[in-house]
Formats: sequence, C-alpha cells, structure tokens
Amino acid sequence: MTSRLPLHGVGALFALAWLGVACHHDVDKQTAAPAVSGAPVKVEPRAQLLATYPCTRCHEGRTPRPEQYKLTEFHRIRNEDLAHGDSKAWCYQCHAMEDINRLKLANGTLVSFDEAYKLCISCHGDKRKDFESGVHGQTAGYWNGVKYRRSCPSCHNPHNPAFPAMEPENPPGSPRPSDTL
Amino acid sequence: MPRTSPDPSFAPPKSAGERVEQLVELRLGKNASRRNFLKTALAAAVTGATTPGCDHPAVKELLQKHYKELTAEEKKEIFQRLEQRTYQKSGVRVRIGDPPPIDGVHYAYGLNLSHCNGNRRCVEACARENNLPNDPEIRYIRVLELDNGSMDLERGTTAYDHETVPQPGKFYLPVQCHQCRNAPCVKACPTGATWKEPDGIVVIDYNWCIGCRYCQAACPYHARRFNWIEPAIEPQHINPDQGYLSNRIRPVGVVEKCTFCLHRTRKGRYPACYEVCPTGARKFGNLADPSSEVRRIMENERVWILKEELGTDPRFFYFYA
Repeated sequence: MTSRLPLHGVGALFALAWLGVACHHDVDKQTAAPAVSGAPVKVEPRAQLLATYPCTRCHEGRTPRPEQYKLTEFHRIRNEDLAHGDSKAWCYQCHAMEDINRLKLANGTLVSFDEAYKLCISCHGDKRKDFESGVHGQTAGYWNGVKYRRSCPSCHNPHNPAFPAMEPENPPGSPRPSDTL
Repeated sequence: MPRTSPDPSFAPPKSAGERVEQLVELRLGKNASRRNFLKTALAAAVTGATTPGCDHPAVKELLQKHYKELTAEEKKEIFQRLEQRTYQKSGVRVRIGDPPPIDGVHYAYGLNLSHCNGNRRCVEACARENNLPNDPEIRYIRVLELDNGSMDLERGTTAYDHETVPQPGKFYLPVQCHQCRNAPCVKACPTGATWKEPDGIVVIDYNWCIGCRYCQAACPYHARRFNWIEPAIEPQHINPDQGYLSNRIRPVGVVEKCTFCLHRTRKGRYPACYEVCPTGARKFGNLADPSSEVRRIMENERVWILKEELGTDPRFFYFYA
C-alpha cells in the first residue's frame, strides 16, 4: 500500500502522515493509512477484582499441602467444582506454592494475578495467538484508541472453564412489563 | 404478536389524497384539508420566512432540505427543534449531533459463530441504545436458531424460548443491517433518503423518508423496520446521546435500521451490541487498519458472508475461530 513512498518503517510512515505529505492523493481509500494504527492494547487487571485477594490474608504462615485432598472448609466449592484439565489437576499446578499471592506458569515462572492470561496461554498455546490479536475474547475501550482485553478469567471460571449455559433474553413478541425495556 | 390497536387517526386511508391529508394532520397536529395544506405550502414557498405560518416547526420540517444540502446553521436549528420536541413530549433533555465519518476509516463487523450462544443480550442492548420502542416492538437484531450443519434460513427461528442457551444440536445466527457496499435498499429508495456514507455505514434521513418501504422490500437481510405507529418509549428509557442519522427518536411513518451505532462508533466507541456481548463473539473495527481485529480475522480466519450470491458485498461477516 505504501509502495509509492520511498521510505520504510512504520515510524517514517507516521512521521510522513503527520506532516500531511502522504495524504490527499488518489490513494485507494480501502488501503489508505488508518486514522490510528497500533494503538496500545492493555489487559484488564484482575487482582483488584478478587474478593479473597491477597491470599496471604489467610494463607500467611500456613504450610502448603501439595497433594490432593478433600477441602471441607473455605475452598470447598472450588474443590467440588474443579473441572479443569485431568483428574490430577490441583491447586499448586497453577497457584505458586512458594508465593501464594502469585500464579505459576507451566515453565515455572511466577506471575501476578493481573497476568492470569499468561498462565492460561502457557498451556493453551492454540488460544494464545487469538487472544493476543483480539480474535478470541472480549475487547473493551475504543476501536481507534486504547483497547482493554478482558483477561481469560473474566469469562472462564479458571476452576471450571467451560463457558456456562445462559438464560436468554425474551423472544421477540413476548409481553414485557411497561417499566422495563 | 400482541399489539394494541393503532391510533384511530391513523386508520387506513381511502385514497392517496386522503393519506396526504392525514399525514399533514399528523405532522401539523391540526385539522388540515388538502387544499389548506397546499395553500400553506404555497404561501410558505412564495413569501419565505416572513409569514408567521412559516415559523411553525412542522412547516419548516416539511420544507427542510436534504441532509447533504444542509449548512451547519440549518443543522443546528433542526437538531434544536428535534431536541425541543422530545423535551415537550417526554420531558427528557437529549443532545442530537451528527458526528461526521472519520477519514480513511472503513467499518467492518465480524461475528464469531462458534462463540455466539443465542443469549439475545445484543438485541436488548441495541434497543436501549437506539431508542427502540416496545410498542410496536422494533428490534434491529434478529437471532436465528438453526440446526447444526444447516444453512436453511427458512427453517431457522427467532422465537426460540429455552431455559438456557445454547441448545445441543443448534447454532445461532444473529442478523442485522449488513451495511452493504452494493446496497439494494439504497438503490430502491426513490427519494434519496437513504445512502451510503464514506465510512461504509448506510444511513437514513428520517426527515426525508416518505415511508414507501421499497427499501424494506429490497433488503435481503430483513434489516429494515417501519414505524407503523408513533413509537412510544418510556421517558426513563430514552437515551439522551442521539445522532440525527442514527438513534434519535423516529417519527411515525419512516423506515429505520441498524447504523453500527454511528453516534458512538464515529467517536471511537464500540457499538452497543458489541459491548454487551458476554461471549466475545462480536468484533468491530476499521478494516483499513492493518492492526485491527476485523482485519486480522478477515485475513486469517474462515470468513463467510450471508447470501453472498446476491452480490451485496456486506461489511458484516461471519467467521469461525
């Protein structure tokens, strides 16, 4: 699209666009330089949304138990719901035993809860490309400005990641109470 | 579909002349015979703005120029008049604007059919954003439920009423205005009240539309809706952020449709249906931007368009990813 310009590199192209040199020619509009390209993409932070974060509020001073056992108290629901990966999946496959406030990637690197998506894509490599490019998942913000990718756990419960069935809105033509739209 | 009986003043007219009279009465809000109407129109045309009758908002509206011919001042006056009308009718202060197309932007909308689960959140969010009435029920988006492996739209249904979605063996196909590059509706319009904007959005000047519904018949996606009666929206549900060419409250007797929420998207925001979708199936952006999601999808994913054989060349496409 820029073959008529004897310049290379995105930066040079932008500088030109800024100076108004590259505009107002008979450039095919379909391939003309966009108004805003390569706007920053941020991943929505997660830690602040978690009711039980930081984990050290309770786990401080506790000895982690790496083996599977039946949780009967605080994380009981997680335990019963746990349906991720094979039957051997357990807390410390993803939560870091050495630092309970962080997560552990498949390669052993520790990351914060804000970077939970890195944990997901460290196993789900097929989704990595689609998530990073915005093909998979939700993107909020501005289509021509700052974009916020929703982190994987916004939609998928990490302990039971299948997308849940939902109740649909009313079908067309169904009576609605007058105070609702 | 249950529907209250229409306004008796809008009973089917006997002749074309009576219909004109009836429309004039509806717009002027007073009894006007055809002769009176012609007299008023003639007087207005001859004597210009000095005649007191010419200052009547309805007369001004009747004599309004096409949107593309309006100057900035004229637009301002029209928008103020419309804002005032909404305030008089519902007590809600709204702001009407007409954000222009952004240079070099070509909108496209992608819908991931492997993610859509038919929850209809988009349908309702669209209704709220675009001031769509419940009575008559107007919705821009229809979600079709189809059997897996079938593309027989005739056998799909929008009336599915399950406890939960998705149902096994079914897939869901939301259909809304495809903003065709080769739009049959634009070709069908005899008055030029609907046209394609430089950014690809097909818009309607509701003040120019005569309500002939040719466009509605021409659209192969069933994307256009007609206001058979005055749309009634509860004041608390009126969206005050309005666009002259998009979601302002429509008068009776005109056609309307999805505009990719241009009052939002031309300011960089996403359409309402996009923002509400809980499955992330909806993708929107600038096709001319190589880094945009829609461009990447168009280049890399399995993309198809609905009723491709009609050559409408839509800006709305479906994909599996």
